[in-house]
Amino acid sequence: MKRILSVVLLAMAGLLSASAADVLIKGTVIAAEDGEPLIGATVVVTAKELKRAGSSRINVSTMTDIDGHFSLSVPEGVREIESRYVGYGNATVALAAGQGDVVIKMTSAATELSEVVVTGYQKIEKRKLTASIQTVSVDDNMLGSAMNIDQALAGQVSGLASTATSGAPGASPKIRIRGTASLNGTQDPLWVLDGIPLEGTEIPSMEELKDIDNIYSTAVAGINPADIESITVLKDAAATAIYGARAANGVIVITTKSGKAGKTKVNFSTRLTVSPRQGIGRLNLLNSSEKVDLELALLGSDFTYRSGKGEVARIISAAGQTGAFIAGGWAALTSDTQQRIDALRAINTDWNDILFRDTFNQEYNLSLSGGNEKATYYTSLGYQDERGNVVGVEANRFNMTAKTTYRLSRKLKVGASLFANRRVNKSNMTDADGFTNPVYYSRRANPYMTPYSADGSYNYDTDIQGRGDSDLKFNIFEERNGTDYELETKSVAAIFDGEFRFNEQLKAITQVGLQLDDTNKAQVADAETYTMRKDIERTTLSILDGKSFLPDGGKKLASSSTSSQITWKLQGEYSAKFANMHEVEAMVGTEIRKTWYKSISANGYGYDRKTLQTKPVIFPNETWAKLYPLYNESYVENAFASFFATGSYTLKQRYTLGGSVRFDGSDMFGVAKKYRFLPLYSVSGLWRLSDEPWLEESEWLNNLALRASYGIQGNIDKNTSSYVMGDYQNVTILPGNTEEMISVSTPPNSKLRWEKTKTFTAGVDLGVLNNAINLSVDFYTRKGSDLIATQMLALESGFASMLVNWASLRNTGVEISIGTRNIHTKDFMWMTNFNFAYNNNKVLREQIPENQTTPGREGYPVGAIFALKQAGIDDEGYPLFYNKQGEKVTATELLKLNAAGASTLTAAEQRDLYSYIGSSEPLFSGGFNNTFTYRNWELAVNFIFNLKMFVRCQPSYSLANFDRGMNTNRDILDRWTPENPGGSFPRLINSTDRPAEYIQYAEFGLYEMSDAWVKRCDYVRLQNLRLAYTLPSELTKKAHLEKVTVGVEGRNLIVFGSNYKNYLDPETMGNQFAQPIPKSVSLNVSVGF
Amino acid sequence: MKKTSIYKAFLVATAALTLGSCDDFLDIQPTGRVIITTAKEFRQMLTQAYSIVPEDRGLATFRSDEMTMDATLSQEDISSFRDIWTWNDVSPDDATSTFGWRSYYQVIYEANHAIQSRDKITEGSEAEINQIVGESYMLRAYMHFLLVNLYGEPYTALADPYFSKAVPLKLDTDPYTVLSRSSVGAVFDQIIADIDAAEKLINVEEWQVGLNYRFTTTSVDALRSRVYLYMGRWSDALAAAKRVLAKKAALADLNSELPNAYNSVESIVALEEVMTATYARAAKVNRDLFRAYNSNDLRRSKYYKQVTASNIQLLKGGSNQYACTMRTGEIYLNAAEAALEAGNAAEARSYLLPLMESRYKPAYYAERKAAVEAMSTEELREEIYAERRRELAFEGHRWFDLRRTTRPELTKTWGSDTYTLSAGDSRYTVRIPSAAIAANPNLAN
Repeated sequence: MKRILSVVLLAMAGLLSASAADVLIKGTVIAAEDGEPLIGATVVVTAKELKRAGSSRINVSTMTDIDGHFSLSVPEGVREIESRYVGYGNATVALAAGQGDVVIKMTSAATELSEVVVTGYQKIEKRKLTASIQTVSVDDNMLGSAMNIDQALAGQVSGLASTATSGAPGASPKIRIRGTASLNGTQDPLWVLDGIPLEGTEIPSMEELKDIDNIYSTAVAGINPADIESITVLKDAAATAIYGARAANGVIVITTKSGKAGKTKVNFSTRLTVSPRQGIGRLNLLNSSEKVDLELALLGSDFTYRSGKGEVARIISAAGQTGAFIAGGWAALTSDTQQRIDALRAINTDWNDILFRDTFNQEYNLSLSGGNEKATYYTSLGYQDERGNVVGVEANRFNMTAKTTYRLSRKLKVGASLFANRRVNKSNMTDADGFTNPVYYSRRANPYMTPYSADGSYNYDTDIQGRGDSDLKFNIFEERNGTDYELETKSVAAIFDGEFRFNEQLKAITQVGLQLDDTNKAQVADAETYTMRKDIERTTLSILDGKSFLPDGGKKLASSSTSSQITWKLQGEYSAKFANMHEVEAMVGTEIRKTWYKSISANGYGYDRKTLQTKPVIFPNETWAKLYPLYNESYVENAFASFFATGSYTLKQRYTLGGSVRFDGSDMFGVAKKYRFLPLYSVSGLWRLSDEPWLEESEWLNNLALRASYGIQGNIDKNTSSYVMGDYQNVTILPGNTEEMISVSTPPNSKLRWEKTKTFTAGVDLGVLNNAINLSVDFYTRKGSDLIATQMLALESGFASMLVNWASLRNTGVEISIGTRNIHTKDFMWMTNFNFAYNNNKVLREQIPENQTTPGREGYPVGAIFALKQAGIDDEGYPLFYNKQGEKVTATELLKLNAAGASTLTAAEQRDLYSYIGSSEPLFSGGFNNTFTYRNWELAVNFIFNLKMFVRCQPSYSLANFDRGMNTNRDILDRWTPENPGGSFPRLINSTDRPAEYIQYAEFGLYEMSDAWVKRCDYVRLQNLRLAYTLPSELTKKAHLEKVTVGVEGRNLIVFGSNYKNYLDPETMGNQFAQPIPKSVSLNVSVGF
Repeated sequence: MKKTSIYKAFLVATAALTLGSCDDFLDIQPTGRVIITTAKEFRQMLTQAYSIVPEDRGLATFRSDEMTMDATLSQEDISSFRDIWTWNDVSPDDATSTFGWRSYYQVIYEANHAIQSRDKITEGSEAEINQIVGESYMLRAYMHFLLVNLYGEPYTALADPYFSKAVPLKLDTDPYTVLSRSSVGAVFDQIIADIDAAEKLINVEEWQVGLNYRFTTTSVDALRSRVYLYMGRWSDALAAAKRVLAKKAALADLNSELPNAYNSVESIVALEEVMTATYARAAKVNRDLFRAYNSNDLRRSKYYKQVTASNIQLLKGGSNQYACTMRTGEIYLNAAEAALEAGNAAEARSYLLPLMESRYKPAYYAERKAAVEAMSTEELREEIYAERRRELAFEGHRWFDLRRTTRPELTKTWGSDTYTLSAGDSRYTVRIPSAAIAANPNLAN
């Protein structure tokens, strides 16, 4: 106590003595670019300088006023002062004796991102940053040949995991920040464009993504990466709390480029990318001869599933020799039949080769930027055309961006930005059976089939689906030519912002954002297609004398949807400094947002593409009319209102305490008004050790800071209510009487509580040896409690599932990012950036429903994979399993199957049979980026890695339902048969020998649960390799150019992974039908005028 | 001083702009969404319940001996129905249609919600509310009745119906409870209790055409007569059938309408389509069934259309025009059978003959009438069964009738393959869907 008192007294004495032997310095701080005064800049004498001058004072500083003026009493002997300002590099000015007003020119640090961080709500000086925030500047090197910004983020930010969803052009990856926080609803981060949160950024679920037919385009895909200045990723609660409930999965803030006062800059860049077709040799599919042998073997065996399928069975059956073959084998066939079968062996159609192509993609960008002290502008045009490796699959995008900032007076600044784009995705229409999808088809079509007959007509594949003699004709090329699927999206985002400065302490900022996405989808099928034949077959009725009620011709399904939002933000910011050592910043604000979604779809039949005409459909009765709707419409409207505040207090420029709070309200229907607003808050602190006097003189230490934060976030399901709710629909139960009915889709849920996430983060930032090594380490725990998840209900409830407060779980993780300047000579520089994330996810408590037959995850990661330990196969070729006593038992014994193939064990006993194998989420992930610069040359080598993760794969073939009409991989050749008792895979089983086990394998999916199909998946990918050359400036100046860069980049060239046999890439392991992740080489030219 | 006032003004403006109008701003009534509270809304909820009643009595037609399938049918129909038709329950094709489970319980959920909310329903007269709750009891009874007849062993085949497990009885709206199967006897007891409860509440005797899918006072006894018939409680079945016929005894004139049309004079409840558009498309009438109609039987040309010798098409199905759950024709047959089994052959004849009279040409009827009157009890039983098969063909009765009566051996042929359902085969009871067992393992026991 006494000691504190004496410190205070000393400090006061210091203040009092300020005028003793001081010199009064007056001056102005201005921006170097436009000479505008900078309001609220801090002018200081650094501690080091004070010490050198022999002053006993700790802190000498002041702030500039509304005209940028300042006056500061500095102790005698001080030779320099420093000016600091958000968004500008620190400027140091030497003081000369007897000089008049000092003019300090500060240069914008827009390129020097280290000084300021943009959170979307505020710009925060990095020295006061208490939260976990990482910024990546966007340039050609970072973007590579990525079409969208989200594709380029992989491996760039520690704690951000990016998984490619498919190789289709324009497909967005799945992005997770610091693991999975919630299981309900979206796990995607919130995307923010220049302060306005974007709508329509959700990625469809993995299930829907397994094929390329499901064309989609997110709002992020509409942004031209060339317009982006930087990406800021907000990771912890201290950073995201200000964004409210939507930010529970992290926030990605996009800051776009803007003009700077000065000479007009013109930049033109182009990128031409070649991506070769990729072989599917890794899939180990059967060749014609192997497939013929397999079909022969199956026809002679007791495996009867779809026994008429496959060309071999058809040839033998057409010759009437099926019985003879089963009795006497190959020798019993006539030589003519033998020859016809052998002829199949000679055909080896490479479906992958004829369905896929090499692609050539192009991208062009042109931008103009510049301005003067009154206004600055940035304008750009971009065009991108990308073709998928699948013929007919393509995407293109045209962008136009215009941003202008006006400085109307010293107090008022307004800006307007307009981002417009039109993007088109094209594909072919596919049938619900999926066979018409070229990726699927190329892996399943028989190699002995040919698409065209000798006279050029289509050969039809009859192994499509079902059994018996299908008269439906299918040819993949006919389908591709006869169907179209086009998605056209037109987007406009307009942002208007105004900033009014009352004085040096107080300013008001307002921002209005409008986002409009207009999507048109058109699916067309011609008359002569499988798709249309299928429709005709389905609508052919005996009551119409065996005719279809659909008119002759094709069909067109068209839909259009409009999604729009308006967001208005208003906030006041206060920042002040007292007594040269207390800095206070505060911000209060409010935000209201409204979103609308409208969609209309119309279907026409008897469509002809040439005339654009449809024909009327005459339905035989209302039942059929209901099945073939011609028109549909939907409309959704939502409103949100929020209040927020942040504050920070900094003492002596090194101790910062911050906090933020936000109330989020939304239009929850069927919920009491008091639950409408949810409070979210965070507190955080920072200790900048390197600014302590006792460390400041250290020559090797540039920066050392400790950070800590704690925050709470929450979420509730908007559609859950404790009342029985329903949606109005129309129904016709009896002819001529259409009534309104209320459809109840979910049961009421009075037990559902708020889902809460509490996050604690502690971090260290370290910069040493003139910032040659920068290290940032974050430790976090993120505990989610009362998490909401979908729980499967016993169907006797009347519902399949409902939301429950399922569990609590904890993510514990460490994120390390190290940037080093390994070698730095005059001509040569080698920089390394390594980021690494460890995330351990553990379910702390789980409420297991009574009816669940798979184990609970308590004590395990949320992505826990459980499996039944398989113990090889028995002497009849059936899988054996280990029971809990370690004995080898059959499925019947393990599960105590009843005659109908169902387990008579209780749910709890069934849970007990499983063993934990591993987690589906990687334990370690990150990136390793190296940049080498030699004179005008630059070489970048970037790796990304994901380690220690497991995948549950689909078995290579189904034991009970293997369809012999389709191709498969070579695992089936090593199955158990009486002739091959040493086979390593189980036999194909029929329904007669062990009917109970048959039902288990056929209907309950027992074999999929075997640990034999859970695979370890680790990989390191050479994400990109880029070599760039900048033309020497002497040369470019002669051509009146500013900068010319030429780069060559290879993307996704190599992947090193644990065993991924039978799959194309470890990243898409588990899905045989995933599109290959494209390899590409691109040439990039950038010219600045 | 000036600074502070500006600051204050700014704060006040902000607060005024937002706080005041906030609640209004957030009061968005979602388009088309509602909390079910009024009588009108409960009625609309029940309308949905009626609309999702599974058409499994139509699907069961594939299992009975009413239809034929062959390779001329469309691929989709073959893969959807062939394995049901051949009783291949062990290894059905992936695309095979399944008998319902969850839909029944969804109807039951909505019925239970109405039953539980009886005292809370607003804006409705007492009669209106009673009618809604009464219909809910009827729906619950009928759903359990369909379930127990699909998935439970036949009541009449069991020595002790309380010993054989059938389906869970769901009598509340708690979504979390995981039920076990109740016995066949317990389910039937509950069905009767629910019908009794409905009787006390239901008060509409006849709904206008178009709304006549709803249960009425007449339908209470109509369902009772069927339930008692399935239990072999003959005198109860007969008494219930008599009470129905006292109110409604009209029989259709086949020259002007089909008896199972929703707007026929016979209609009591016109809820299930039975032979939906999809089922009707795949339905080829079995030749033996077709041959069971004499050429003097009016039904032969009204029910069917013979295209070729083997291709006989169905005319009494395929759209909601032919929605029929209960009609007077069935009640006559219920009464005849119940009276005979109760030991009164004369009374049995008195219900069988009027029906026959309206279905045959007069000369032939006279001939049949003489024959019926000369029949022994055994012959008369066969005649009632045969008439029931002819009259109610493709109306979803046959499979259940086979189950509760003789469970005979059935054979079907597809190309050169023959499929047999032996007499009393365990496949006379449908296997509970795997999806239901996966969601509730108790169902395996």
